[in-house]
Amino acid sequence: MAFTDLVFYVFAAISVFAGVRVISSRNPVHSALYLVLAFFTTSALWLLLEAEFLAITLVLVYVGAVMVLFLFVVMMLDINLVSLREGFARYLPVGIAVGGIIVIEMIMVLSARYGDMPKPAPHPASYSNTEELGGVLYTVYVYPFEIAAVILLVAIVAAITLTLRRRPGTKHQDPAKQVAVKREDRVRLVKVPSEPRQ
Amino acid sequence: MVGLSHYLILGAVMFCLSVAGIFLNRKNVIILLMSIELMLLAVNTNFVAFSHYLGDTAGQIFVFFILTVAAAEAAIGLAILVVVFRNRSTINVEDLDAMKG
Amino acid sequence: MTPDVAEFAPLAAEIFVLAMACFILVLDAYLPDTRRLIAFRLTQVTLLGAAVLTWMQYDTMIGTTDRMVLLGGTYVADTLSMVLKLAVYAVSAGVFLYSRDYLRDRGILKGEYFVLGLFGVLGMMVMISAHNMLSVYLGLELLSLSMYTMVAFQRQNGVASEAAMKYFVLGAIASGMLLYGISMIYGASGSLDLAAIGRYVAEHGAEDRILAFGVVFIVAGLAFKLGNAPFHMWVPDIYNGAPTSVTLFIGAAPKIAAFAMVMRVLVEGLGGLHADWTPMLIILAVGSLAVGNVIAIAQTNIKRMLAYSTISHMGFVVLGILAANKVGYSGAMFYAITYALTSAGGFGLLVLLSRAGFEAEKLDDLKGLNDRNPWLAFLMLLLMFSMAGVPPTVGFYAKLSVLQAVVSADMVWLAAVAVFFSIIGAFYYIRVVKVMYFDKPEDEAPIFAGFDAKAVLSVNGLAVLALGVYPSGLMAWCAKALG
Repeated sequence: MAFTDLVFYVFAAISVFAGVRVISSRNPVHSALYLVLAFFTTSALWLLLEAEFLAITLVLVYVGAVMVLFLFVVMMLDINLVSLREGFARYLPVGIAVGGIIVIEMIMVLSARYGDMPKPAPHPASYSNTEELGGVLYTVYVYPFEIAAVILLVAIVAAITLTLRRRPGTKHQDPAKQVAVKREDRVRLVKVPSEPRQ
Repeated sequence: MVGLSHYLILGAVMFCLSVAGIFLNRKNVIILLMSIELMLLAVNTNFVAFSHYLGDTAGQIFVFFILTVAAAEAAIGLAILVVVFRNRSTINVEDLDAMKG
Repeated sequence: MTPDVAEFAPLAAEIFVLAMACFILVLDAYLPDTRRLIAFRLTQVTLLGAAVLTWMQYDTMIGTTDRMVLLGGTYVADTLSMVLKLAVYAVSAGVFLYSRDYLRDRGILKGEYFVLGLFGVLGMMVMISAHNMLSVYLGLELLSLSMYTMVAFQRQNGVASEAAMKYFVLGAIASGMLLYGISMIYGASGSLDLAAIGRYVAEHGAEDRILAFGVVFIVAGLAFKLGNAPFHMWVPDIYNGAPTSVTLFIGAAPKIAAFAMVMRVLVEGLGGLHADWTPMLIILAVGSLAVGNVIAIAQTNIKRMLAYSTISHMGFVVLGILAANKVGYSGAMFYAITYALTSAGGFGLLVLLSRAGFEAEKLDDLKGLNDRNPWLAFLMLLLMFSMAGVPPTVGFYAKLSVLQAVVSADMVWLAAVAVFFSIIGAFYYIRVVKVMYFDKPEDEAPIFAGFDAKAVLSVNGLAVLALGVYPSGLMAWCAKALG
């Protein structure tokens, strides 16, 4: 067994384990952390597939931003953990049985078609995955790229309209007012009659 | 010898895990959202593996966009979750039963 | 290949909608609360401008080419895209007009509502003009994300936020299914371009069974988005829970976009596999017709009833597509456009009947509408007859053209099933008419509705009648789009 095969099996086993724990943990915080583990190991598998740019992006975007957002929300909302667990054990046997059958069927279909796919020739040492993606991203796929930008704009608009609350009486600075302030607003010269020297 | 089918089988296993997670955790919306992220991870692994073995960049480009959309989707999903929690003080799906029929 | 600026010129309509949405977003931040209607007016101007630009794009194509594939094969302009986009603009403009007073009465007349609506329209345009799996997916997500947010827009409304959560979770699962299917199609054919996929399917469709494996997931994902049984669970809850103005938006134009998505993916991309997807679509169609028409009878909430009615109508659209011939496709297209128009009218009337602090959503709220306002009652009568498929309204002709296609594809039994369930379904539409004309009104409050909204609703209701009497014009465009 080649070294890369060993790497694949180890990381695949860890990511499946992490996936199982994501859906079976008692505590949403644990689930989120196991999801982070799943992302990390999958990113290592993508490195084996020579998709370096996406592997790094997965870690930066998902582990760095999305999962932090998840943890933020989990901790911000005061959730009653016990009531959320009811019913899990009841559905578990059915879930395992149905899921197992579907997995076996999918494995049979997939390995029949792709079992003997030849391994592609490795890229030369000077190959840059980022450069190749960048080359097509801004040319062939410029239209999807622009739509993706609009989707991010919609996400910003949506998140703000749904959650922004203006509380009356909060103390905050208004830089525009601070800049526009004039001497007369702040300094008042008071004429004080001078007292005669004693 | 690890080949394309191994990666696809890993993708299939992760996909089924996420579907199982959706059915088993029908009460907890946060875990539902995490299961959806797991599902997209399985799809992305498929695309990356195909892209590598076909020697074609289109698959990796698709993954790039799925990551972008999934981040936007997570932001909106969590925003809706916060709105639900402010209204109902719970995220238990079974307490969310205002509509029946 | 470096993209040339000239290559973006045909996308003038898309660029205009995007630019106006951003402009309204910024402008609205500087407007006082008393002048929110400016955002509404600019939205209508945007839709009008987009219609002109779309027509100009089509006009330049006439005589030279009937199909422009641009930007690395991610965008296509053809007769199909032109007709469907114009229908989306017209229906959306009506929808925004109906909801204006409703939004004002509930304090949610905000610029963001119209901005999200315009982004949704942009998503529909992208879906309609998609020529690559990537554009299909991104257009779908742009539309869906805008709709999830609009459902939750009335933040203090607990029921609406619950509906948004359900919609979001189920919609995201459907997207995941669709993506898994797309990944399988990509792996087999080695391309995301719909034309390239179509070529591969035509050559190897019969022997490469992984394609059929992918099609299963794609059909499941599409059925979720269309709201076909057995993936229909979200439709009644979302229609019921969302504010009526949002139900109106979701129930009208996105149906046209969903039809476009099915046409692009299943017919243009995977048309060679119709032997595989026709049986799946038969299950979806029969299931939708049964669920939609039978369960609707038990509903007392009219929004919920119309949600089940939507499921059955989407069953009819699928019926036209599964016939897998030109007559069927153009019949389904005619059905999708006219249903969007009818649905906009039906929900639009409910929006006009609602006032500040009162939601018209029970069947009883329509009691004696004829005594309160005979003209609105007559319009509702036309819309209900059209949904039921009573001649001479357009619903009858639409159903007829779909059934003709099914019969011509040698599936007479399927046509018989469809007719059977339509007759069951006619019962609950007629019940609405009975309640309006023969019951005493419980609610004597006068109906306040703006003159322009009433005028457009009249045009909408009469169009349902006029298209039923003279269907040949629209039908010719539908046939031309798929010719």
